[in-house]
Amino acid sequence: MKLAVMSCIHGNYEALNAVLSDIDDQNADKIYCLGDLVGYGPHPNAVVEMIRALNIPTCQGCWDEDIVEGLNSCECSYPSVLAERRGKLAHDWTNQVIHPEVREFLAQLPLSLRDDNLCFVHGSPHNQHEYLMPEVDAFVAMERVLATGADVLFCGHTHVPYVRSLDAGHLQIQVKLTGKSEPQDTSFSAPLKRIVNAGSVGEPRHGRPNATYVIYDNDTDQITLREVEYDYQKTCAAILENGLPPIFAWRLARGMEFAERADDPTHVCER
Amino acid sequence: MQLLNITLVAGPPGAGKTTWIRQQINSAAESSVYLSLGSGNTPIDATYLAAEIPGLIVLAGEQLTDFLAHPIAGCAVYLELGFHIDLASLILPDKMADCRRVAVLPPGTRQTEWHGWADLVVTGAEIGAGLSQPHLWRSALPGQVLDSASLNTVWYELTQGAYGTVQRAKGIFDVADGRSLYFDFVAGLAEPTYLELDLPRWLNGRPDRFSGIEVVGEAFDQETLAQTLKDCCLEEQAIAYYQQQIRDSLEPGDEAV
Ligand SMILES: [Zn+2]
Ligand SMILES: [Zn+2]
Repeated sequence: MKLAVMSCIHGNYEALNAVLSDIDDQNADKIYCLGDLVGYGPHPNAVVEMIRALNIPTCQGCWDEDIVEGLNSCECSYPSVLAERRGKLAHDWTNQVIHPEVREFLAQLPLSLRDDNLCFVHGSPHNQHEYLMPEVDAFVAMERVLATGADVLFCGHTHVPYVRSLDAGHLQIQVKLTGKSEPQDTSFSAPLKRIVNAGSVGEPRHGRPNATYVIYDNDTDQITLREVEYDYQKTCAAILENGLPPIFAWRLARGMEFAERADDPTHVCER
Repeated sequence: MQLLNITLVAGPPGAGKTTWIRQQINSAAESSVYLSLGSGNTPIDATYLAAEIPGLIVLAGEQLTDFLAHPIAGCAVYLELGFHIDLASLILPDKMADCRRVAVLPPGTRQTEWHGWADLVVTGAEIGAGLSQPHLWRSALPGQVLDSASLNTVWYELTQGAYGTVQRAKGIFDVADGRSLYFDFVAGLAEPTYLELDLPRWLNGRPDRFSGIEVVGEAFDQETLAQTLKDCCLEEQAIAYYQQQIRDSLEPGDEAV
């Protein structure tokens, strides 16, 4: 069976449409969405309505949570003061235009989804605000996958797609058992695990405006990163028409979304 | 009467007037005086040279008359003219009538008003296509402290054309760790660069020294840039917090204000 996994649509309806038709062309049997349906982009309601209409299983993203819970993440989740101020503008705009039933829909989204040996989350299994960057320490990465009990962990949130295989994951843990004076080495080998980041449909930050998502074939275990061109100028025009900051359009056209990345990529906000 | 050794330096933005003057001063034995005409309340070049050349005497434009009346004997005087100053209508004091006129021009420049004006034409840097309607925007940022990650973002956006076509941009900014940074961009040149000015770290409240920006561009959205720069600035509390952190981490003997 072929699964399509996408993330971070961020109110970009044009990009979502292009990705959905590419998924059609790829003959995918099922679609999963890893959240961040809203934020930055000009069409948050239309995006959510489309996801609902197609009954796409979706987990809650960091932006979805912020729209439901209010913006109370700590400032350290932004790479700069400027990015924080812009993020707040995007949040306030989205918060104003979002329909009540759309907000309700975002509120009831689960934090993770399971399908056999696959797990789907937005940021990490621990928190939708945590960044699983491709360079994160192998031990930390393995811990995040093992925490789910799955073999393949699908995530988004970084806006840059990647596949990471955690080969021959050999973990060594030293345990000091009570009553015994010498610590005992306990080691075990985990089978091959993988982290697959689906990138971003509507706010890529890989240096091109194209949308990205992934196709996973669970018969062949093959993962394909898809990059889809779409008419991003339409989205840019809608950003301007809707009174969002013009710099959002400028950055979208260059694939330069600036995600709220903390200095420590695994840093999780104290909320 | 004492002959004054004065050099007037003119040329288009980005051709390298200040760079040429810096080279002259560095290779001269005598002490030097620098004065920039037309830089208004954003003396970026003067601040840059004063920080980078020990012993250089930097005068403000309005000090020129006084200086000519009481010159410092035996020193070389460099007077940089802003590109927007009209050479034809520039009236020089009598005492400067026989000064040397140097035009710093990009390679291949021919038959410009600078050629008619100058005693010496120096080949400077390539500056890319000229603008048909160059527009000069300047802003002093007195007492402002910028978050450096934000500053890098806005400088990247500015030089990549997010706020309109930019031919030349330069600025001096105070950042959270107390340093004063000099940013320099000329369209068509490889990489925008920045340099840490040789000034003590300012770790005691809002800096009482010059910072500001100057942009030469076309179809340029100055309001948005001004607002964005404002959005890069730290609030009182954050400034105090960062300065405390840096003070705590400095070794005794490190220079700070
Ligand atoms: Zn996202
Ligand atoms: Zn996110």
